[in-house]
Amino acid sequence: MMNRVFAVAGGTFRESVRDRLFYLVGFFGIILVGATMVLSPLTVGAQAKIVADVGLAAMALLGLLVVLLVGANMVRKEMERRTITTILTKPVGRGEYLLGKYLGLTVTLVCMLALMGVLYVVAVLLTPATLAWSHLGAIYLILLELLVLTAAAVLFSTLAGPALAAVLSLSLFVIGHLLDSLRDFGALAGGVRKAVAEVVFRLLPNLEVFNIRAEVVHGDPVSAGHLGMATVYGVAWVIVFLLLARAVFARKEL
Amino acid sequence: MRYRSSKLVMKKPELARNESTAAALVVADLQKSFRQGFLGRRGKPAVDGLGFTVQRGEIFALLGHNGAGKTTTLKSILGLVHPDEGSITIGGLDARDPRSRAHVGYLPESPYFHENLTCAELLDFYSRLLGLDRAQRREQRQICLEMVDMQDHADRRLGQCSKGMRQRIGLAQALLGQPELLILDEPQSGLDPLGRRLVREILLEQKRRGTTVVFSSHIVPDVEMVADRVAMIRHGKLDEIKDLREAATKRLFSATVSAPDEGSPLDVALKNPGLTVTHRRPERWTVMAADPASLAELLTACTASGCAVHDVQTAGGDLESEFLVGLETASPMTPKVEVVS
Repeated sequence: MMNRVFAVAGGTFRESVRDRLFYLVGFFGIILVGATMVLSPLTVGAQAKIVADVGLAAMALLGLLVVLLVGANMVRKEMERRTITTILTKPVGRGEYLLGKYLGLTVTLVCMLALMGVLYVVAVLLTPATLAWSHLGAIYLILLELLVLTAAAVLFSTLAGPALAAVLSLSLFVIGHLLDSLRDFGALAGGVRKAVAEVVFRLLPNLEVFNIRAEVVHGDPVSAGHLGMATVYGVAWVIVFLLLARAVFARKEL
Repeated sequence: MRYRSSKLVMKKPELARNESTAAALVVADLQKSFRQGFLGRRGKPAVDGLGFTVQRGEIFALLGHNGAGKTTTLKSILGLVHPDEGSITIGGLDARDPRSRAHVGYLPESPYFHENLTCAELLDFYSRLLGLDRAQRREQRQICLEMVDMQDHADRRLGQCSKGMRQRIGLAQALLGQPELLILDEPQSGLDPLGRRLVREILLEQKRRGTTVVFSSHIVPDVEMVADRVAMIRHGKLDEIKDLREAATKRLFSATVSAPDEGSPLDVALKNPGLTVTHRRPERWTVMAADPASLAELLTACTASGCAVHDVQTAGGDLESEFLVGLETASPMTPKVEVVS
């Protein structure tokens, strides 16, 4: 089974490379250079904070861009072009196909974040600050968040066209980061609104779990326990989204 | 699941491992309609109670007009659409089981592939899906590219390939791993005459190797030239399954020849009960031959006696006439006349 999954994953990764997605890494480098050379001199004494803040935010946003452009389009594009028919008429199960597509994009994201991470580390080392482990922890959590969003994008891609799937994925990104605030507002409002906010909080992934950028920028420590908990939380959501995607996709007429 | 060793590639395909006596494909009472509109109501059946059995090693054609339900039938066989009713087995295995497709090759109509891949990379990708190892993949790629006459274009990107070349590469990916059952949806569409001949030759070659071939077409001559049996489908329903091997022996031929009215050198040949003079004008006879052997005798006699042969035609019983007649009678555009006694 895994041979077929890896074959689909390999094809997806190769397609990402050929689609020149890795040009985004170059774009990230330009952003970092801009942050270091242009913004840092304007903020005396906070050069390291600026590099960390801009660098991590750019990494997260460029990763999100890949999820929206590729992940939300991944399955639907193959359905519309009908390339999927020749794949699924080989002895490949629909679940194997989805898992392969997901893993292919995961490898793409890991490679991209690894390359951006190297540039980021170099940029941080060029500042007076020392590189703490929390920087790498933040990059790891950005990757985890992107993997959750990718799984959601795969689900949306089986349900809707590329544009709608991208909008749904972006909405999940925005709402996922506002869930804590939503819950707080619900608690303040009370009654039905509190119950609704609580339901939404439970039904969607809380993406703030993966956001430790503020701690990194301010040099606060990040516990290994938090990273472990976030890993379990992220993997659980990935499994939920992929199982839902598989259930939807199994009924799809191609 | 591992495919068999590439060393066996050129050999006759094996029978299904567990069902050596099972037919290659059995479709029974297949029914499929698609949901339409916002409410998703089921529309008119695209396929309505279709059933047929394809024996191992035969070339079986689905012949029907555009929208007759050929592609829906093939997609149902391949598990791409889910039938409302009916059952499908491939080599004795339920078609819903992905393992049933382990030895099936499929070419969709107007295939489209990732444009960034080269022809060789594409075949390598599909070989990996079949579970072939590196050496087998390389060998299969070579064999299949040669089969479709694309060996000189292995490194060409699909985005730079013409429609005909893509069709050939599509056929090559269907042939990977020497499938036992080859399912082709309009395999000759978009091909130039050379390409069409190549496809015909490949199908006949596959049959010689023992591969079962099922293909759809709406072009009668394409079907007549290669198929052993043909299922004629009209508006989602099976109209008739015709054995073309049998039909070929029953076909009538009409020949127009020049022969003198008196003392014709053809007199001896015309004593053959399979030959009948149906029309006689001065020095111009129309002779009906009941079978190919009688026709051959007539033509040999003409050649030997120096009589000119003006024309030879199939007369009646040909597939195209039957197909068109049936199509006209079954067409929803044809007004129905009720006779009230």
